[in-house]
Amino acid sequence: MGGKAHHNMAEDLNWAVGGEAGDGIDSTGKIFAQALARAGRHVFTSKDFASRIRGGYTAYKIRTSVDKVQSVVDRLDILVALTQRTIDENLDELHEGSAIIYDGERSWEAEIPDEMTAVDVPLKSLAEEAGGAIMRNIVALGAACEITGFDVEYLDEALEKRFGGKGSKIVENNKAAARAGQEYVRENYDLDHLGYNIETTDNDYVLLNGNEAIGMGALAAGCRFYAGYPITPATSIMEYLTERIEDYGGHVVQAEDELSAINMSLGAARAGARSMTATSGAGVDLMTETFGLVATSETPLVIADVQRSGPSTGMPTKQEQGDLNMALYGGHGEVPRFVVAPTSITECFWKTVEAFNLAEKYQTPVFLISDLAMSVTEQTFPPEAFDMDEVEIDRGKLVDEDEVDEWLDSQGRFRAHAVTDDGVSPRAIPGTTDAAHMSTGLEHDELGRRTEEEDERVHQVDKRNRKVETARAEEDWDYREFGDADADNLIISWGSNEGALVEALDYLEADGIDVRVISVPYIFPRPDLTEEIEAADDTIVVECNATGQFADVIEHDVLTRVKRINKYTGVRFKADELADDITEKLSEEVPA
Amino acid sequence: MSSDVRFTDFKSDKQPTWCPGCGDFGTMNGMMKALANTGNDPDNTFVVAGIGCSGKIGTYMHSYALHGVHGRALPVGTGVKMARPDIEVMVAGGDGDGYSIGAGHFVHAVRRNVDMTYCVMDNRIYGLTKGQASPTSRSDFETSTTPEGPKQPPVNPLALALASGASFIAQSFSSDAMRHAEIVQKAIEHDGFGFVNVFSPCVTFNDVDTYDYFRDSLVDLQEDEEHDPTDYEAAKEVILDADKEYQGVMYQDENSVPYHEQHGVTEDMSEIPDGAPEDAMDLVREFY
Repeated sequence: MGGKAHHNMAEDLNWAVGGEAGDGIDSTGKIFAQALARAGRHVFTSKDFASRIRGGYTAYKIRTSVDKVQSVVDRLDILVALTQRTIDENLDELHEGSAIIYDGERSWEAEIPDEMTAVDVPLKSLAEEAGGAIMRNIVALGAACEITGFDVEYLDEALEKRFGGKGSKIVENNKAAARAGQEYVRENYDLDHLGYNIETTDNDYVLLNGNEAIGMGALAAGCRFYAGYPITPATSIMEYLTERIEDYGGHVVQAEDELSAINMSLGAARAGARSMTATSGAGVDLMTETFGLVATSETPLVIADVQRSGPSTGMPTKQEQGDLNMALYGGHGEVPRFVVAPTSITECFWKTVEAFNLAEKYQTPVFLISDLAMSVTEQTFPPEAFDMDEVEIDRGKLVDEDEVDEWLDSQGRFRAHAVTDDGVSPRAIPGTTDAAHMSTGLEHDELGRRTEEEDERVHQVDKRNRKVETARAEEDWDYREFGDADADNLIISWGSNEGALVEALDYLEADGIDVRVISVPYIFPRPDLTEEIEAADDTIVVECNATGQFADVIEHDVLTRVKRINKYTGVRFKADELADDITEKLSEEVPA
Repeated sequence: MSSDVRFTDFKSDKQPTWCPGCGDFGTMNGMMKALANTGNDPDNTFVVAGIGCSGKIGTYMHSYALHGVHGRALPVGTGVKMARPDIEVMVAGGDGDGYSIGAGHFVHAVRRNVDMTYCVMDNRIYGLTKGQASPTSRSDFETSTTPEGPKQPPVNPLALALASGASFIAQSFSSDAMRHAEIVQKAIEHDGFGFVNVFSPCVTFNDVDTYDYFRDSLVDLQEDEEHDPTDYEAAKEVILDADKEYQGVMYQDENSVPYHEQHGVTEDMSEIPDGAPEDAMDLVREFY
């Protein structure tokens, strides 16, 4: 662990605040993260938390650099510890150069390893002097600014954003509290030897998490209806939309359960709205009941699954990519679908836009799979990363009254499930004259009416599957690529592991190991990786689950065996740890 | 909406496969009449149905329609109406669909008070699966799965609606065609969630709750008695009356505020711009 401080690829600083749930850890961390973004620094945050409102250890961690950061690492430089447990939980990440800010006047006796720098600041007393004990965390932020040579003024805008609604007095008190912490450390400690000095740039970044990116993507794409049932870690999508969708004439409904949520969303979609629901795996279990109906009635619907650790209640506040098989195969019978898994926070935005287009163009349900790690991570981006001019809307074969005629049968009835070459039928929404029709989860004829006639059945099954084949041919299902394209070592990943892998490349390169990384955002349809795998000596599939669900799929596609790195501790991959895992795995024999 | 719509315009050319004499024929006819009488036409009407004999109604009617999964018709109707306030939404279901597998949705649909109509074809039996007890079957009603009867009291759907905060509660009888159509019409015209429990006898599997039984026992609240549906206490009394069965409008809240008014959901959500909204970069700037 002693070497950690030197293994510092991106000139990064790793900072955290931790305490009991309910101590205001999140908002404290967010204020510091926003201040760093204002100072033109990149930020990547992560959270340790438990599923309760108060009590239990929780921490907000920030990795920051002037360069892009997209992973956590196994190293902590500065820790604001409101409890002893915060120190104990992070001993593995702390090192001899770490500074720990704590309040020596509090009842607990801090046990801090001798080689680390203990910075005892009377957080509560200084906060009381500034106007109230509640601001003790802000005092700690001021202390952290002093240790890192970071201008305390960068905190001001974040404090105004956080407390502006409570009046200027509160804002001013908080600014004073931050300065009190800064001055206390300046007067009582000489910490220059630690060498922390936060560089700033002229850049200005936005800071957002994956769920906010999904919500923003939905609004950009014209989503007007959302029904959902609260569930960790998907709820913040609903909260984001609740505050904003009405500005665009839309509405969010909190349903009585996930069964209702997906059916409401389905109803709105049949009525012509761009519609979505979001949940986590336990909610997808319930929604699966209606999934086949969405597909069979050919209704465009986006279903986001923000995965968490399962099965059953599992570890509801922990990371896992365990729902891939469910997204691919869930539901009785054979259900055509698309499965898209964004690989980064910006991709959460763009893939959401794409999901709405796929849903409407092919009148097929789209699973949008994210995960807990991405949902709570806040990351900085230049605002152009979400360039709204680039957003395209394609509503597919939505027909208006003038086009209805082409799709009527000889008796003037609208053929809502017309068998076509590309498999896609015309879509008429209620209110369209002369296009009234029904649809159903029963097998049906072109008019949407029940049939058990053999030819009709085959025509409709083939038509629905043909939509997927049309999409496979016409849409872009490419992977994202990083590292050395000619390397003999190939690493394949899906979903949110991309950032940790990209940063692991730096560590591997430093050790002389060349690697090609393929990050796959499309699970179904997905890119054919046969050539890439055949060209490599070694292929490793990296994913956050125990059994290697994506590795199984890849092996099936390519008819060869791959190596696997699986993490199912409930914690996301860290770049440095992943580099070690890859080095070790490369030395192993390929499985027979 | 055209003014010359006749109720037969709501009829599809598909012949119903309900058993001859099934109450669902009369229930459906009344619904079609009520829709036509209220100025609707097939192109502005959305019928949602669940699973069971009742679920087939979307096939036999002509309108926009979705025949969904068992018990979830109300959430589908809710989504349609919220996205398209201009569309008339009629949800149909059976006693199993609405009061058993979909009971949770019933409670919450009633609470939400979305401006749509819900007609439950209550035959007090599972017909499509050939005669098992339903949530409204009598406690001594012998069936293949309850040889000695369910031995539990039937659900009182009207009381369930009342307890859930309903703004419109009615009951009708499929065979009393005029009254049934009138009652459904009132439900459609009601500003909020119009709930009608329709006695719709199963001639094949239920030999207790028969046409004769209802004809002999039903008391008409508006014709036989002078029931005031706006009187909550009076409504409570007839709804909880264990000795008699009634038809008519039991309860109507004159001050009902439908969901779309409570929540300001009035836009046609099907219309969206060709790209991101004009001010969409403001959404990004919020994250500074």
